[in-house]
Amino acid sequence: MRHRLWLAAAASLALLAGCSSSGGTATDAGAPVSGGSLSWAVETEPITLNPHQYAQAKARLLVWNNFEALLTHDDKGGYVPWLATGYEVSPDGKTYTVKLRTGVTFSDGTKFDAAAVKANVDQLLADGYAPTVAAVQLKNLKNVEVVDPATIKYNLKQPDVLILDFLSSPQGAVVSPKSLKEAKNLKAGGPELAGTGPFILDKYTPGQELHYVKNPNYNWAPANAGHTGPAYLDEVTYRFLKESSVRVGALTSGQVQVIEGVPATDQAQITANPQLTLSKGLNSGSAYSYYFNTSHAPFDDIRVRQAFRDALDVDTVLQGVYRGTATRAWSVISPTSPLYDSSLEKTYGNDAAKANATLDAAGWSTRDAEGYRTKDGKRLTARLVQSAPFVRDRRDILAQAVQAAVKQSAGIDLKVSVVDQGTATKAIEDNQYEIFDNSRADTDAGAALNLLLRSDGAINRTGVQDTQLDSLLAAGEAGGDRVKTYGEIQQKVIAKDALIQPLYAPADQIASSKAVGGLGFEPTAGVPGNAYNVWLSK
Amino acid sequence: MTIALDRPVSVRFRRPRGLGVAAASGFLLLAFAAAVTPGLFAGDPLAADPLHVLEPPSAAHWFGTDQLGRDVFDRVVHGARHSLSIGIAATLVAAGLGVLLGLLAGLSHRYADEALSRGFDALAAFPLLLLALLFVAVAGPGTVGLIVAIGIATLPHYARVVRSQTFVVRQAGYVTQAVAFGDSRTRLVLRHVLPNVIGPIPVLAVIGLGEAILAAAGLSFLGMGPQPPSPEWGAMLSEGRGYLSIAWWTSILPGVVVTLLVISLTVVGRRLQRRFEGRTA
Repeated sequence: MRHRLWLAAAASLALLAGCSSSGGTATDAGAPVSGGSLSWAVETEPITLNPHQYAQAKARLLVWNNFEALLTHDDKGGYVPWLATGYEVSPDGKTYTVKLRTGVTFSDGTKFDAAAVKANVDQLLADGYAPTVAAVQLKNLKNVEVVDPATIKYNLKQPDVLILDFLSSPQGAVVSPKSLKEAKNLKAGGPELAGTGPFILDKYTPGQELHYVKNPNYNWAPANAGHTGPAYLDEVTYRFLKESSVRVGALTSGQVQVIEGVPATDQAQITANPQLTLSKGLNSGSAYSYYFNTSHAPFDDIRVRQAFRDALDVDTVLQGVYRGTATRAWSVISPTSPLYDSSLEKTYGNDAAKANATLDAAGWSTRDAEGYRTKDGKRLTARLVQSAPFVRDRRDILAQAVQAAVKQSAGIDLKVSVVDQGTATKAIEDNQYEIFDNSRADTDAGAALNLLLRSDGAINRTGVQDTQLDSLLAAGEAGGDRVKTYGEIQQKVIAKDALIQPLYAPADQIASSKAVGGLGFEPTAGVPGNAYNVWLSK
Repeated sequence: MTIALDRPVSVRFRRPRGLGVAAASGFLLLAFAAAVTPGLFAGDPLAADPLHVLEPPSAAHWFGTDQLGRDVFDRVVHGARHSLSIGIAATLVAAGLGVLLGLLAGLSHRYADEALSRGFDALAAFPLLLLALLFVAVAGPGTVGLIVAIGIATLPHYARVVRSQTFVVRQAGYVTQAVAFGDSRTRLVLRHVLPNVIGPIPVLAVIGLGEAILAAAGLSFLGMGPQPPSPEWGAMLSEGRGYLSIAWWTSILPGVVVTLLVISLTVVGRRLQRRFEGRTA
């Protein structure tokens, strides 16, 4: 009892919040009020603060504080104008004409217009600046044309509906052309990059925090943002607290008012606390999956890939690690996506007897002293190299659970290592891995699959080179019956070729003090939204 | 306490000290037995049971289960092998190199001795963990890297003692006489100097072993030691810290075992030191 009272006292002192602790959720914060300073603890420190270089789903909530794109998503996968006022597609699907909002300025005083948008596209296509964006998202772009200051035309080589997804993605965010020219460390980004967003990045202390202040001139929020005019908060600070237990501790002790990345094991503690509230959102894009490297043994043999999946009881492993809070994935596409093929559910996996029979048949029939399967004296080993900045949701623990499971059921030696980004990149470049783990929070799952499955995909870690798959992906991005096309793709890579072991649908959790209102998830993407609509009741 | 002042203090405290040493020796015996034949005391440390994760200590799982449903007691027992073998190997590296370099310094001429001694000073000037971290960064994480790192970082203890002993011994009558008899340099060092300078080393090594085990656990905690799923004590502490608020046993109990082992080694080491003090000085 004393403990609870102390917590309550600390929380109300820290927040100066006189809110009642009666039931209800975010509504406890009352009507929106302006002013105040919010501290928000996040799990991941961004590798870069330049939106063009964006690569971490966990950084998305930061990007949209000071940068904006031409379009944004509604909650049904459609598009809403943001820095645009509307767009038109030519009948042949090869020209997109976008009308731009007028009266918008960057925080450095530069005017936002068609020339500024073109300067961003030119920068993205510059050699060595953003190779992934140029090679994937903009691969069908012929050129951009400034029609007048408020109109810009995207001319495509061939129809590509994913260009709209690009225009609403962090990589498509518009940076002030002045900072593109003058920034000393453009790729790393930081306070010297000016955007048009509702906040201005004021200070970045590496390893500690990002500090944003309100952009008082902001008056161009998209229609679905919740309100218009400047943001409610005067300041918002994002503190990097990598350890989940530290984040939860910081919230319960009132040092921060919001945290994201609440591990399953701590969720009961949050919901039991009358001062706190917890909300969850399922991400769109691709499911968290293991990609089998088919370029060399052992996963060049489809039987070993199938056996790995049969050896694994995903439900039990997820239950152990996430205590029933995770949503199992059956396909490479997240179940929240309109393109998800639900017919794959319960069609494979969790059959240890079959896994063992398959491995015997594939020649991995002998066992060494430690109980691992061997073939010609070589152990059945698969290396999974995890890059520390991308480890979230206790994926390192999940990997250890999978490691134990496949060893126990089929004698497969899964070697897991969590290393720094440089070491991980080197392992990939040197082809010294057998399993690659990944999830992508792309709003359009097709964009994620282009990166992961195309023969020339930037993160094609399976090594798959399949012209049939490439043409299916091309058909998917050209439009038409996309549900059918992506259904065929999922059938092929999951059921027929067993290239992927899907694990779970990534989700985000936000826990906050009840004095905080307006927290939510970005429509369609499902990741935590920016701080524009957030307020702190007094 | 005041009433004890009129009596010799040693009389009053002899019995508890003996008890402490006995308890410490008993614990050390158990730990070494666990390290040699862990299978005798505990089951498979890697057997995960996803349906029984983070269960508190019970009759079935004396130390509870961890985040993957592995038995913490089994892991602690098997961890004894990792921790003790790393500790012993690191101590051997440190003592071996320390004796060699200390002897070299003690027997060398002024400049070489000066250079070596300042080298020991430089090594000793940095905290053990920081220095070991530096060597691991160079050698890479893993068991071998850890042994070499801790070995090099702790060698000044041994080198300095051996060097000062060498100074005493080389002026002793029997050495002067051996020189007069015309013994070769090698024979002189091996037959007369070495046996008379390494006396304090075994005792130092027992105390040093505790320090090495602690350093190994510390570095493993930081992810520099044996990689998962190896049941290493420091790594177990590190893995358990994310669950401290809901499952204290996953990290507290391995921590208690490390603490007991290091205390036991220190108690036994100090006792040996006192015992041999008269003979080695």
